[in-house]
Amino acid sequence: MAAAAPVAMHRPLAAEEAARADFYALMARLLVDAPDAQLLGTIAQAGPLGAGSGLASAWQALVDASSAMDADAAREEYDALFGGLGKAKVSLYAGHYTGAGAVDHPRIRIQRELESLGLAHRSTTQPEDHVGALLDAMRVLVAGGAGRGPAKLEEQRRFFEGHVGPGATKFFAAVAAAKEANYYRRVAALGAAFLAIETESFRMD
Amino acid sequence: MKTTRPSNRRNFLLTAGLGGAGVAAAVATGARKAGKSAPEAATASAETKYRATEHILKYYETTKV
Repeated sequence: MAAAAPVAMHRPLAAEEAARADFYALMARLLVDAPDAQLLGTIAQAGPLGAGSGLASAWQALVDASSAMDADAAREEYDALFGGLGKAKVSLYAGHYTGAGAVDHPRIRIQRELESLGLAHRSTTQPEDHVGALLDAMRVLVAGGAGRGPAKLEEQRRFFEGHVGPGATKFFAAVAAAKEANYYRRVAALGAAFLAIETESFRMD
Repeated sequence: MKTTRPSNRRNFLLTAGLGGAGVAAAVATGARKAGKSAPEAATASAETKYRATEHILKYYETTKV
């Protein structure tokens, strides 16, 4: 009989915390690349979130749009909005919205913060201020990952308020205002609704 | 040991629509499986190390002086 391997026990996340992590994961995914047919189909088949909240309405709008969208059109829209390195219609980089100084660029501050949270790579060429990357960092802080548990709520709050919320909120507003946006206008509405909830919830304790 | 969270925050999140059974989870699972770039897109990988995606590295190439 083989020797028993050590088993790591992880406390399951509360439903609302798991949902936060899932939202961060989905938003990050949609900002890193256009949705493919499988992802569009998955969203299209998802059920409602409930009634009466702005998040639920925004979610339903994205579900409906996903059922009508095809992957090629999503790709074209993504490229039209975010393509063209250095001259994109809508910048995917938070530094664009929060003021990127030559000396104290947001990437440097983000890198320092991530290092303090045990997430940073030591390379100097990292995508810290990509909005999708920031949202995915939040996912890890909320849900944890292999070898680490969720970050403390105060740590999540500090990273969100310092590096995610301000830039990402302006980013979603820019997407919503872009004439090229169609499917991504729904993505932006959902992102904005979710960030508003996060902003409010971080003020509650 | 039980983790304590402010009940008002939890209630707020649940009322706002977070915590609905499996909807976001199903989508997130789809996001991770469907996207060819999703694993690379993660800033924190399974080892919680940051990664630069090809797309982002191209961006940084454009910023070199």
